[in-house]
Formats: sequence, structure tokens, C-alpha cells
Amino acid sequence: MAYAYLFKYIIIGDTGVGKSCLLLQFTDKRFQPVHDLTIGVEFGARMITIDGKQIKLQIWDTAGQEAFRSITRSYYRGAAGALLVYDITRRDTFNHLTTWLEDARQHSNSNMVIMLIGNKSDLESRREVKKEEGEAFAREHGLVFMETSAKTAANVEEAFINTAKEIYEKIQEGVFDINNEANGIKIGPQHSNAGAGGAGGAGAGGAPPGGCC
Amino acid sequence: MDFLKSGLKTVLGAPEPGQQPSVAETVERLVERASNSTLLEDRRDACRALKAMSRKYRLEVGAQGLDTLRQILELDKADNETVNYALDTLNNIVSPSQFEEEEDKPHIPMNIGDQFTEMFIKDPHNIQLLLDLLDEYDFRVRLSTVQLLISLLTNRTKDIQEIILDKPMGVSKMMDLLSDNREVIRNETLLLLIKLTKGNANIQKIVAFENAFDRLFEILCTEGYSDGGIIVEDCLLLMLNLLKNNSSNINFFKEGSYIQKMLPMFNIPDNSEEAGWSPQKVSNVHCMLQLVRTLVSPSNSAQIVSNCQKIMNNVGLLNSLCNILMASGVPADILTETINTVGEVVRGDATNQEFIGTVIAPSYPPRPAIIVLLMSMVNEKQPFPLRCAVLYCFQCYLYRNEVSQANLVQTLLPSSTDVSSLTSGQILCGGLFSSDLLSNWFSAVALMHALIDNTTQKEQLLRVLLATNIGSTPVSLLHQCTLLLQQTTKLQSKVALLMLLAQWTAHCPAAVGCFLRANGAVACLVNHTSCNEHDDNDCLLQGLSAFLLAICIHFNDDSVTNHSADSLRQLLLKRVGLETFTAKLGEVSRHELYNRAAKHPQLRVAAPADVLVDYEFCKLFKSLEGVLIQSVQIKQENAVNEERQSSEADLQQYKQVIRLQDTRLSELLQQLEALAGQAASLQSALNDSLAANSLLKDENTLLKAQVSANSLPQSQPNLVQPPDPRIGEYEARIQQLTDEVTQLTRDLNVVRESQKNSTEELEKMKKDQDDLLELLADQDLKLNEYNMKLLTMVSSIEGDNVIEPEENST
Ligand SMILES: Nc1nc2c(ncn2[C@@H]2O[C@H](COP(=O)(O)OP(=O)(O)OP(=O)(O)O)[C@@H](O)[C@H]2O)c(=O)[nH]1
Ligand SMILES: [Mg+2]
Repeated sequence: MAYAYLFKYIIIGDTGVGKSCLLLQFTDKRFQPVHDLTIGVEFGARMITIDGKQIKLQIWDTAGQEAFRSITRSYYRGAAGALLVYDITRRDTFNHLTTWLEDARQHSNSNMVIMLIGNKSDLESRREVKKEEGEAFAREHGLVFMETSAKTAANVEEAFINTAKEIYEKIQEGVFDINNEANGIKIGPQHSNAGAGGAGGAGAGGAPPGGCC
Repeated sequence: MDFLKSGLKTVLGAPEPGQQPSVAETVERLVERASNSTLLEDRRDACRALKAMSRKYRLEVGAQGLDTLRQILELDKADNETVNYALDTLNNIVSPSQFEEEEDKPHIPMNIGDQFTEMFIKDPHNIQLLLDLLDEYDFRVRLSTVQLLISLLTNRTKDIQEIILDKPMGVSKMMDLLSDNREVIRNETLLLLIKLTKGNANIQKIVAFENAFDRLFEILCTEGYSDGGIIVEDCLLLMLNLLKNNSSNINFFKEGSYIQKMLPMFNIPDNSEEAGWSPQKVSNVHCMLQLVRTLVSPSNSAQIVSNCQKIMNNVGLLNSLCNILMASGVPADILTETINTVGEVVRGDATNQEFIGTVIAPSYPPRPAIIVLLMSMVNEKQPFPLRCAVLYCFQCYLYRNEVSQANLVQTLLPSSTDVSSLTSGQILCGGLFSSDLLSNWFSAVALMHALIDNTTQKEQLLRVLLATNIGSTPVSLLHQCTLLLQQTTKLQSKVALLMLLAQWTAHCPAAVGCFLRANGAVACLVNHTSCNEHDDNDCLLQGLSAFLLAICIHFNDDSVTNHSADSLRQLLLKRVGLETFTAKLGEVSRHELYNRAAKHPQLRVAAPADVLVDYEFCKLFKSLEGVLIQSVQIKQENAVNEERQSSEADLQQYKQVIRLQDTRLSELLQQLEALAGQAASLQSALNDSLAANSLLKDENTLLKAQVSANSLPQSQPNLVQPPDPRIGEYEARIQQLTDEVTQLTRDLNVVRESQKNSTEELEKMKKDQDDLLELLADQDLKLNEYNMKLLTMVSSIEGDNVIEPEENST
């Protein structure tokens, strides 16, 4: 389908904080109650609309386990946005945020938008990290902050969309070099293709005048 | 490294005094200079000399110089020339292939490059050194580094993949080189990435993340897609690596709209026939087809396959593939692979299946593409792989599609017989009863796929009647299959028919009933099952017969009086026995070809002789095997119980009956023998005329096919050919042959009639004999029982006689 922009995201954070669940809730509107440990990286995608423009989000959900850390590092450079997730019911996942942030800052491009997410907000009774603590950490490090629940879907859309809005604004401000694909942003195929979206195979056959050549 | 050094000494021997310095000494001196000299020029010269020696004396240079060379990569980074010599030297040392200069040195171990690779990567930092050198823009350094990495990866793929994964920017750096505007580097990088991504899902995902598909499609476009050179093939091979068994990347490929970008690869220009197909173009298109198949492979998750299939239809890719199918001048192997690909693009997707159902071949008269394909499938003159591909494609067309299944069966039903045009059903029936074994097999299996999970069509197909002879009553298709099963001696045909019949009768009591009513059906199965040959293929045949027999028991609604579930069960237990039966079923799933077939929906065999078992049949077999064994077993216990409960009476009466039956039996046996002889001679006469008849029929069909303007070309695999001008000549010949056939058919009828009579008689006798044998066995058992009882009774009476008085006295 035709899109105006394509943004690449990564989701990072300790194992078990709910990264894969957030992605699944966002792409499939489902919740997965059993922890299905991510091995390496998994891909997901969805189209959203910002400012009347179609924006394609390509999301790489990474594995939180220590053993996969170096693989995860390979994804920082090419990402335009990152969701840094902790679990509000496990303080240690909050304590590790500094390490994650250092890693991200070291390997990513400087313009990468980072959204801090305190997940599992539905488990209020087991909360170990106050919302104010998350807000404070975000303010201190210049991040956007939000509490979500992959289970009830609370704030999940918002988390992904607000990150996109932030990137979109940076593009408007000219901060991002959109011609450098290494930044995790692509401009969509030219408008000549618009409307061809879901059209049936009727007249197809000729080479589409895509960006190449 | 010591072992290499000592090996060296023994090989070269100690240098004799006063002679030229040995190679080892020279190398030692050079290495010394390269590592210790304070002058850059000196070190550079030493490296140059080492490089010059490293092809002929790689053992010596490697054993002594590896560390020094590594060190130069680090310390002399600033001097491109020196670094370049070091890189080239290293590359020679670890090279996976043997150099010409080495050919006269048999003492050099074959895996010498591999051993040096192991030493080099023992310190993972050495790989980091190479990755750092990739940042160097100098052409020679960059190229040599890439080449060295290729050699290392070739020798130790897994180890180096792990090391590189551990370096944060490792993969990214290599990906960057793909955008190098110096073609040589770009092309060499492609080779590097192909090696790097082989079998490592994590690296594959990173490479995809780093925009590999964009880069590759750009290269494909600038190189002219399928008309491009080997670089196109390399791009496609890399894409294949990235996608094969990697659902995350397939998802990314699909979501990134790359399927659309594949479209220009399948634009085959109209003048391709004149332009011809270069070997490179054949390779390119072959890879492209593989790429399509990787996306919709039945081994992928159903959701991914379904999504990709829909996109492929929507963007016109399926249409482009069908165009290749119908184009002229397409090489046979491309055509074959295109047929396979089309199959997988439509498999299980109703819209796509309907689409290829409506494709019309540009033939005269215009015919549905499916018909043209099926005609090739039953045409002996078409290449074997092509015929297999058509079967697969047709199976995919029927797969989980009740409409296409119904359409096929519909073409065979009496009401719809449209005499004017050839239908798919007719082609398959023709193939089923043709003299070509592969056609038998392909047709039976194709027909079988119209019945999978479809009871409606199983029942519909029962209505199909075949007019075997002019004037004689038509025979049902099922009975004709049963007849053929009894008549044919060919393994391939027998197996095909058994699979078809099993699929047909499973879960369909009506078909079971119809099968049981066929002359000799049960006897034939029992005979096959109780056969004692131990050859692999015979075992398969026995197992399949046992399987069908058990289906007839399990799905039996007792509508055929003399073959009720219970009577068949008794027959099976008596003639075969439960253990043997179970063992024979087991033989099926042990057969090598069964196991091969069960792995993948597509028939993957190298030779026609290996065409034996079908994937869907394996699924049926697996799903029923346990049920059937249970079904036979449980009921057996009941039967035993009943027997035990039977009363102990009428010994005398039985004895009498036995005597009577004994005499009748020997009479009947004599009669049977005489009749069997008679039947055999009749059978062989019939076979002769059948063979003659089918020969003529084939000839006739062939001629007809040639006449009807668009027959299949004989020498090349193209599906379409201009009309043949010699129609008149052929028509005369056909008339003549038709007359001959009619005459022969008449003769055959006479023979058949008499044969039928005697067969019936024989069957009746056989059945009587079977019944009698059963009875006899029963009686025998009972007799023994009674004998035993008699004995115990006698002895107890005797005992009583002795004891009684004593008891009375107390
Ligand atoms: N109650 C509740 N449970 C959640 C929520 N999100 C995730 N979970 C549970 O937390 C567990 C871990 O979730 P995952 O999404 O698999 O964790 P992950 O971050 O992807 O873990 P790794 O793949 O190992 O890095 C699962 O059992 C989820 O059901 C949430 O918002 N609320
Ligand atoms: Mg996960």
C-alpha cells in the first residue's frame, strides 16, 4: 500500500517486560498471556495516519535476554524510533534503564526518538515503580513517557503513534535527513502510484515506476 | 603451530651446510624483517616477498608468518600498500582451494587453509581488525579485505558468523559496501553476503533490516532484471538466503511491498523466442521462480502463505507467471519450474485457483490452460519432470477447494457429457486406463485429490459410468478401477489404484458398498494382503491392500449382505490374522518412498520408477492407521467372547456335518481346479485382445489429438503448436482405425461374455469353497474341543465310578 513515510522502530528493554505483547497488541489487537521468549528479533508492521498522511511503521521486537544483547545492538543504527520498555511490577527492570539508554545512545543515530514505556499498568496491585518515577526519569533524559498495558491495550496505540508524531515533527523541522535511509526513515513511492493501493490485478503487468532507475 | 613447524622440518630436511638457504630459512628471515625492521620500506618489501612466496610455500609462510601478518594489519594500517600485501598473503594462506603452484607438493594437507583459518580466528579480535579495514576507502585494501573475509567464511562459516554477530557494527559495515559505487567491490560484497547469511537467521534479519532488499532491487533494475548477467543471479541468491525458512524476513518482504517489485523480473518479451534464452537468463529466471516459491512454500505458516498469495494475484504476478506458461520458446526446465510455482501460488487460495481455472491457452481451438496442462501430464512424450510438475500444479488447484473438486467430477457425470470438447475428467479417465504406467499413476492420484475431505464428490463419482464397449452395459468407474486392480500386474498401477480406492472409500460407506459389490474385489484384496513376498515393494502392496480391506470393515454400513463388517472382519482374522495384519500396515509407513512422499506435498523423485506414493495419501494413511487397527481388534475380542459362550452340544451332529462337507469339499476342489485352468486360458486370450485394443485406441487418440488443431508437440515441451495441415490424411486413417477398433471390440465382447460367465461361475465356486473352508476350520476346532471334553468326561466318569462307592460308604 502507498505510504507517505516509512519509519523503522525497535522495541528494547529487559526480558519479560512485555515487548512482544505490546507489538502483538498493536499489530494484531491480541494479547498473549504466556511468555513466548523472543529469540533474536521478530518483525511486525502496521499502517497509521498522522496529519492525514499514511505512515508505515516497521517494527523490530528485540530479545531482552542478555545473550542477545549484541544482536540487538545491530538494530540501533538504522532505527528512527525506539520504545524502551520496563515493567512497573518489577523494579529491577526500571533500574536497568540507564544501561539500556547508554547502549542506545552509543549505537544509534543522535536523532532517534526514544519513548519510555512503563508496561503492565493493569497490575496496579503489584506495582513497584511509581508513575512519578518514570516521569522523572524521562524528564531527566529527555524522553517521552507513557504507562501502558499490553493486556488491556490501554495507551498502546498512543505509545506507537506518539513516537511517530515526534519523528514526523522532527522531519518537518528538518532535523532528520530523510534522504539517508540509515536514519530509519523512507519516503514513500511517488504519488503516481497513489490509489493503486488495493486495486486488483486488472491492468498490472507493466513495470511499476518505483523509485529505482 | 608447533606441529606445522616440525612437519616442515621433516619435509624439507635440515639444510645442508654450504648450500642455498632453504625456503624455511628464507621465510624466517622475511618474517623477522617484517616484524622487527624499523623502516617502513623494509617491512613493506618483506611483506611483498612473503606474498610472492605464499602461494607456492603457504605452509612455510603461514606457519611462521601468521602472527606477524596479523600484527601488520594493526600497526601498519596507515600504509595501504603494506597492508594490502599482508592481506593478500593471508588470503593465500587461508585459501580454501589448492593453487596450481602446489600441485607437485603432495605433502601439503588438503585442509591447510582451514587449519590456518582456525588459527587466525582463535583471537576474535583479528576479525575486528578486518572489519575496521572495511572503513578504509582504498580500492585494493577494501577489495582484499572482502576477499579475505570470503575465504575465512568459506572455511569456517558458523564460527565466523558468531564472531561477526558479536560485533555491533559487523554486519552493517558489510552492508554499507553494497552501496560502493565501484562495481568490483559491490559484486564481491554480494558474494561475501551470500556466504555470511547462509543458514544464520539472526544475520539474515540484520541484513534485511539494513535495507538489503532495497539495494538488491536497485541492482536488479540497473542490471536489466532477467536479462542481466551473473550479478543478477547473485542478487537473487542473496535474497533467497534471506528469505528461506525465515518467517520474520518473509513478513518484512511482504510488508515492505517487495512482492510488487518482483513483477518486472517476469516480463518475458514477446520476441523471446527469437531472442532465445541464454544460459544466464535461464539461471536468473530459475532463481526468481525459487524466490516466489520461497514466499508461498507449503512449509511456511498458513497465514504468511495466504497473505503472499493474495498479493501475488493482486499485483499481477500470478498473471505474469501464467503468461510464461503460455509463451512460446520457453526452455523446458523453466516451464517446469513455472508450473510448480503457479501451483504453489494458487494452492489453497480459492481466488487464485479460480483464476488459473479461467486462463485460456492461445491454442486453436482455444482451450483452458488446465486442459492443456493435463494433456501434457498423460503424454508419454513430455519430459518426466514436466509431467510431475503438472500433477503438482493440478493438486494445488484442487487443494481445499470444493468448487474445483466438484468441477472436475462434474465433467464425468452422465448429464454433462459435452461430446464436443475434451474435459479434464475425460483426460484423467483416459490416463487411468492407458497403457502408460505413469499416466495411470498421475491420473489416479489427480482424481484422488478431487475426493480429499469431500464426501459429496466421493458419492458423485460413484455415479460415473464408463461405456467400455459399444452396445454393452456401461460399467461404473469404481468397478472399472477394481477390475483393473485385479488385472494389472504392474506395481505402479496397482499402488495408484489402491490409493485412489482407499481415498474414495474412506469415510464413505456408499463407496465401500459399491466396492464390495464389485466382482472379486474382496478376494483380490485378501489375496494381496496374505501374500508372502518380502520384497520392499511387495510389502507396500500387501500393506496397502490390508489398509483398503480395513477401511472396508471400518466404514462398512452392512448394506452388502455377504460382506458385512463382521464377516469381513472374520475373513481378515482367519485368512491374515491380526498380528500379520498390523505388521503389514506397519510396512507401509516403513517404506522409503512413503517416508519421502510424506515430507512434502510436491512429488520429489528423480526417476519415473520412484513414482509410487502420494503425499495426501500418506496423510490419509496416518490419520486412519490407528483407528483401523483398533476397529479390527476390539471387535475381535467380542467375537472370541461369543465363541467361548457358545454351548457345548450336538457333537454327533457336527461330526456328521463334517463328514458330509468333507466329501463335498473335495468334489468342489476338483471342479475348481478345472475351472481355474479354463479361466486362465480365457484370461490370457482376453489380455491379448485388450492389449491390441488399447494399442489401437492409443493410436487413435494420438491421431485425433494431432488432428484437433492444437495437439502437443512431440519433440519439444511447449504446450502450443500451430494446426497440422494433414488433417484429411489423418481423418481417413482414423476412420480406418475406428472400423478396426469396432471389429475388435465386437470380437472382444464375445470373448468377454464367455469369460464373464466362467469368472462368475468360478467366483461362486471360490466363495462356496471359502465358506466351506471356514466352516471346516470351525468344525475342526469344535471337534477338538469336543474330543477334549469327551476325554475329560470319560475320565471323570471312570473316576466317579471308582470314587462313588467310597463316598457312599462315608
Ligand atoms: N498483566 C499483564 N501482563 C503482561 C503485559 N504485557 C506482557 N505481559 C505478560 O508478561 C510476560 C512477558 O511478555 P513478553 O511480551 O513475552 O515479554 P518480552 O519483553 O517480549 O520478553 P523477551 O522476548 O524475553 O525479551 C507474558 O507472560 C505476558 O503475558 C501487560 O500489560 N499486563
Ligand atoms: Mg519478546
